[in-house]
Amino acid sequence: MRQQIDTKINSHISGEADECLFEYLHAEMVNYVLDKSYKTKEGEEELSRLEWMGFSVGYRIIERLTREWNRFKDELDMIKFICTDFWTSLYHKQIDNLRTNHHGVYVLQDNSFRLLEKVGTNSNKQYLQESPRLLTFTCGLLRGSLANLGIISTVNAEISTLPSCKFHVQVQRI
Amino acid sequence: MTIHNLYIFSKNGTLLYYAEWNRLHKSGITKGEEAKLMYGMLFSIKSFVSKISPLDPKEGFLYYKTTKYTLHYLETPSGLKFVLNTDNITQNARELLQQLYKEVYLEYVVKNPLCQLNEPIQSELFKLKVDELFKKSPLFLGRSI
Repeated sequence: MRQQIDTKINSHISGEADECLFEYLHAEMVNYVLDKSYKTKEGEEELSRLEWMGFSVGYRIIERLTREWNRFKDELDMIKFICTDFWTSLYHKQIDNLRTNHHGVYVLQDNSFRLLEKVGTNSNKQYLQESPRLLTFTCGLLRGSLANLGIISTVNAEISTLPSCKFHVQVQRI
Repeated sequence: MTIHNLYIFSKNGTLLYYAEWNRLHKSGITKGEEAKLMYGMLFSIKSFVSKISPLDPKEGFLYYKTTKYTLHYLETPSGLKFVLNTDNITQNARELLQQLYKEVYLEYVVKNPLCQLNEPIQSELFKLKVDELFKKSPLFLGRSI
């Protein structure tokens, strides 16, 4: 088992930082932003700073990841790149399901999202309330990457059962 | 071989987690009091062992045995304490505790951003995984020889 994990990491394209370092840092970022923000009425969490951090990171990552790529054919091509190579290099797996209405709405589904894996399984509803805050950074990441590829969009996330989640990408046409 | 129950204590003595499987005799006091009693005893044994040892006590206290059961003790360098009661014929319980620490505690408590460290563990997934680990362990089989 250990062997398997090791080879998985080694064979990996980008080994820029050890994976648990990212996980812990991410957790601390979430806590930090939550600490700093004022809760709005209804106790809703204000996480736009975190989303913005994700945006900047995504914007930069794309520069590096696409260095060996030709130009993309169209929007769908870019989204496909996000679902496969981009996701693999960040979360060690591909997006499990991609759906689109061909009018600028894409739904990316990950059945076992790395940042949620250790939080819960489908059999329990615990932490369902708190989990969305763990997706905000990734939403920003998606938005930032797409922005650098020339797609202006809004990205939302949705969790119905842990550890799976869906990212809704809505492209804004001007 | 039978596993009776499990305690996990933080470095300052908080009971982080308790689980029991085959416990026939109840202590008759609340879980909180029992945990304090248990921790106090372990603390005493630890200092007793380190004072009384005629040689350099490398690992210190490892386990004790009564006529009916054995208590296995594992303390990590960070001060986390794992305590497991089994019957007297069980061996390798220490390995099982190591495994519990490495494969369950680290993965599902330390890596869960929603779990507070040094506070009682609430995570359902953690509970599930502990149960899974113990039930698939060969030590668990309630078959007495």
